[in-house]
Amino acid sequence: MALKKKARSRFIRYLGKQFRDDSTILQLYSRDMAELPSLTKILYKNIPDAVILPRNTEDIQKIYQIANENNVSITPRSGGTAGFGGAITYKKGIVVDCKGIESELYIDPLEQTVTASPSIIFSDLQRQLKQQGFSLCAFPSSYYSATIGGWIAHGGFGVGSSQYGGALDQIVNLEVVLPNGELKIYDKSEDLALFVGSHGTLGILTKISLKIKFDIPLKQWGCTFDSPRELEDGLAELSKINPYSIWFFNPSHISKFNDTFGYSLPYRYVVIISKEISFEEEESEFYTMFNQAIRKAGGQILDKRYITNIWDHRFKTFSMLKEYDDFLVSELILPIKTSNKYLQKLNVKYKNGIHFEGELISDTHYSLLLFLPLDEKISSIKRTFLYLRLFKYTIKGIKFGGYPYSTGMFFAGYYSKIYGKEQYHKYKEFKKQVDSKNISNPGKVISPRLNLFPLISMKAAIKILSRLIP
Amino acid sequence: MSSSQGWQVDLLEVAQKCVYCGYCSLCPTFKELKWENYHPRGILDQIKLYYSERIKDNLKNDVSKSLFDAIFACTMCKACENICIVDLPLLKVWEQVRQESFKRGRWNSKLLSLYNKVKSSHNIYGLPAEERVTWAALSNMVMTRRIQRKAPLAYFIGCQASYSGKMEGVAESVVKILRKSKENFTILGTEEWCCGSPIFLAGGYSVGKSFAKHNLEQFKKLGVKRVVTACAGCYRAFKVVYPRILGEKWDIEVLHITELVNELLAEGKIQLKKKFKEKVTFKDPCELVRHCGLIEAPRDVIKQIPGIRYEELPSNREDALCCGGGGLLKLNDDNLVSQVNSRLITDIQYSEADIVLNGCPTCLDTIRSNLRKQNLNVEAIDISEFIKRAMELK
Repeated sequence: MALKKKARSRFIRYLGKQFRDDSTILQLYSRDMAELPSLTKILYKNIPDAVILPRNTEDIQKIYQIANENNVSITPRSGGTAGFGGAITYKKGIVVDCKGIESELYIDPLEQTVTASPSIIFSDLQRQLKQQGFSLCAFPSSYYSATIGGWIAHGGFGVGSSQYGGALDQIVNLEVVLPNGELKIYDKSEDLALFVGSHGTLGILTKISLKIKFDIPLKQWGCTFDSPRELEDGLAELSKINPYSIWFFNPSHISKFNDTFGYSLPYRYVVIISKEISFEEEESEFYTMFNQAIRKAGGQILDKRYITNIWDHRFKTFSMLKEYDDFLVSELILPIKTSNKYLQKLNVKYKNGIHFEGELISDTHYSLLLFLPLDEKISSIKRTFLYLRLFKYTIKGIKFGGYPYSTGMFFAGYYSKIYGKEQYHKYKEFKKQVDSKNISNPGKVISPRLNLFPLISMKAAIKILSRLIP
Repeated sequence: MSSSQGWQVDLLEVAQKCVYCGYCSLCPTFKELKWENYHPRGILDQIKLYYSERIKDNLKNDVSKSLFDAIFACTMCKACENICIVDLPLLKVWEQVRQESFKRGRWNSKLLSLYNKVKSSHNIYGLPAEERVTWAALSNMVMTRRIQRKAPLAYFIGCQASYSGKMEGVAESVVKILRKSKENFTILGTEEWCCGSPIFLAGGYSVGKSFAKHNLEQFKKLGVKRVVTACAGCYRAFKVVYPRILGEKWDIEVLHITELVNELLAEGKIQLKKKFKEKVTFKDPCELVRHCGLIEAPRDVIKQIPGIRYEELPSNREDALCCGGGGLLKLNDDNLVSQVNSRLITDIQYSEADIVLNGCPTCLDTIRSNLRKQNLNVEAIDISEFIKRAMELK
C-alpha cells in the first residue's frame, strides 16, 4: 500500500530532501547483499514506499512519531551488507538509512572504550583506533563495509570472537530511539541483549560504546586435516589454547583459493589460526601448544610459507567468487562437537560442490558460511529452487545442535533457537511495551503471517516449500 | 552494448558481476552524500536498471537522471576499483556511463563549456595558444631556444602550469631542475595541446583521441623518446589512456618529475643540499598512486633531502584520501569538493606537518583553498617546487 498523502507530506515537511520516493531510489533500497529472486516477491513487498536519510537522533524520534501516528512501518538499514533480508521491507513502508547519523568519535584510553555513531564502518573505526594504539576486539569478515550498528542489530560475530566474544560481549552501552519515540541509554547486559540480533525491531541505535583493547600484533599459523571428523577434533583442541581467531575452509574452497590467488595449499581442510603476540617467548610458548593440539587431533602443520599473505585475504572472502557467474550464500552457527556429521551430510548432498568457510566464535561453536557457486546465470525459478534447497540444509543444522546465524527476514521465527526461549519471552514482552503497533521492522525476528493465507506463518510456509525440494 | 573498440567494457556484464559486498563504500563522495544511488554498487544497480529490457519508460527516465547525476558526482579517484574484491573495471564503467550521458545530451552547461573550450582552443581555459609560454616571461626566463627543438626528452607542461596563476612556479621549477642537470630537453610551446585528460574524464573519447594523436605527432617530429611531466593528470593520460587509444604507436617513455629527479640524483647530476626546519608530508594524488601505481618515487626524492623531517599522512599510498577535486567534480558540485577535502585536511592536521607536498595541480588547488578556509598555517606546494628549493636554485 502506497504511503498516504497526509503521511507523505508530514515526512517531507519535517525532513525535506532527506525524504525520497523517486522510483530509482526505491529500487535501490529493495535489496541487501542477497537479491531476492523475483518469484519470492509474491511473499515479500520489498520495494519500499520511501527512503529517509535521517541526520540525527531528533530526526529518528520524529520519524517514529509520524510513523506511529500514520501507521507506517519503518525498516532500519545501515551498510546493507548482510544477506538475511533484515534491511529489506517485508510489507513496504519506509526504509530508514542510518548512514546519515553521525556523531563525534570519542576514545577513552583509561576505560578502554570507544563511543561512535552506529553508521561508522569497521575499517574506518579501526583505522582511527590504531592511530591511538588501540584496536577493536572483534570485527566481522565484511570489515570494509559493515557498520557497527548493523553488526549489533544483526547479532554479529567475527574475527576475534573466539577470544573476545560476539557483538553483545563488546558493547558497553547503547543509545537507542525506541519505536515509541523515547530516547534511552542501556548498559545492563540483559537489556543490551534485547538489541543484539533483533534487527532494529526494538528501535534504532543512535550511539554505541564498545570495548577496545591495545593494538597487539597478530601472528598466524596453519594446519590441515583430512576429514570433517579430524577437523572437528582439531577445532576442539585448538579452541583450548585460547587463540584470537580460527578460520578454516573445506577442500572445494581451498581449490578455488589456489586458483584465484595462485597458492598451492593442500586439498584438505585448512585451518588458519591467529594469536595476539606481544613478545618472543609468548610466540614460542604458543607454538608449542599449537603443535601439541594438532598432533593430538591427527592434523598436520602447514608450511609457514603458505601462511604468508593469506591473512590479507581474511576480509576478501567473496573475491573467490569472481570466477563464477552467480552464487548463493547462507550462514549458520554449529557446535564443534557434533558438526562433523553435518559437514559430511552437506558434502554428500552437494557432491562436494559446496564451498564453506568457518570462524570460531567461542570455545564451543563456530559460524559456517556456505557458498553455492554457479557456473551460469540461472532463471528466477531455478534460483528460488536452489535458495530453498540451501535454506533446507541451513535449517538442518538445527538437528545437529546448530542454528541460523541470524533471523532477519528469511529466518524470521528462529529467534528462540538462536537466543533461547527465555530470551524470546523477554524480547516479546519488550516489543509489546515499546512497539504495540509493530511498526519497527515488521516481518523480522517473529515470523509474520502470509497475506493470502493468514493462518499460515511465513516460517512454516518456507519450511514446507523447502522440504518439497529434493 | 559491447563496443568494437577493445578498451570498452560490456556495462551490463560488469554490473551483473558485482557481489554487492559494499567494500566500495569507501567512495569519498558517497561518504558525504550517503544515498545508495551514489554508492558505486548502487551505480552498478542503476546500470542494470538502465539497460534492462523490461524497464518501463517512466522508470528509465528516472533512472537515467539519477545515474547521470551520480556519475558526475564521482571524483574518478579509483578507490572503488582498487578495493573491489571481484576486480571489476569500475573506472572504465564510469567513463563509459559519462560517454552515454554525453550521447543523451545530459552534460551540464559548465561541462559543455569546458569541452568546447578544450576542443576549440586546445587548453582548459579557452585562452590563445600563444599564451602557453607566458609563464616563462613572468618568471624572467628565456625559453625561445627550447621551444620545438629536437631533443630526446620533452617536458610536457600541462594547461594548469602553463596558464594558471595558481600553479605559478611549477613550470619554472621543472625547467630549472632540468637546466641544472644539463639535460637536453624541449618543450612543445604553442604546439602543446591539452593532454586530453578532462575530455577523457568527461567521457569524450573521440575528441580526446585527436589530442593524443596531435601530441604524439609533435613528440615524433622532435625525436622525443621520453616525456616528463609534473602534472598527475597529464601523467595518467600518457601512461594509461594514450597506450589504450593509440596502441603501439605510443612508444614514448613517460616519467613523473620525481622519477626523473631520482635518476638525476643517482647519476649525480643534481644534489639536494638545503636543510629544512619544517616537517613535511606528501599527499599521494589519486591519478599517480591508484591509476598509475607511482608510490615510492616522490618518497625516495624527499628522503634524500638531508635531515628531512618526513611524516606520512594517516591514509597514504594506495589508501590515500581523495582531495575531492578530481573527475571534474568542481564543475558539478563545488561544495561537495570542499566536503570531501575536509577529511583530507583532518589527516594533514593529524600529521602536524608544516608543508604538504603534492604532485597534482587539482589536489594542490583544493588543498590550498581549504587550508585557507580553515585558516591553517600549513603550506601546500608542488613537489617540483620543493625539489627546486632543496637544490637551492633561485
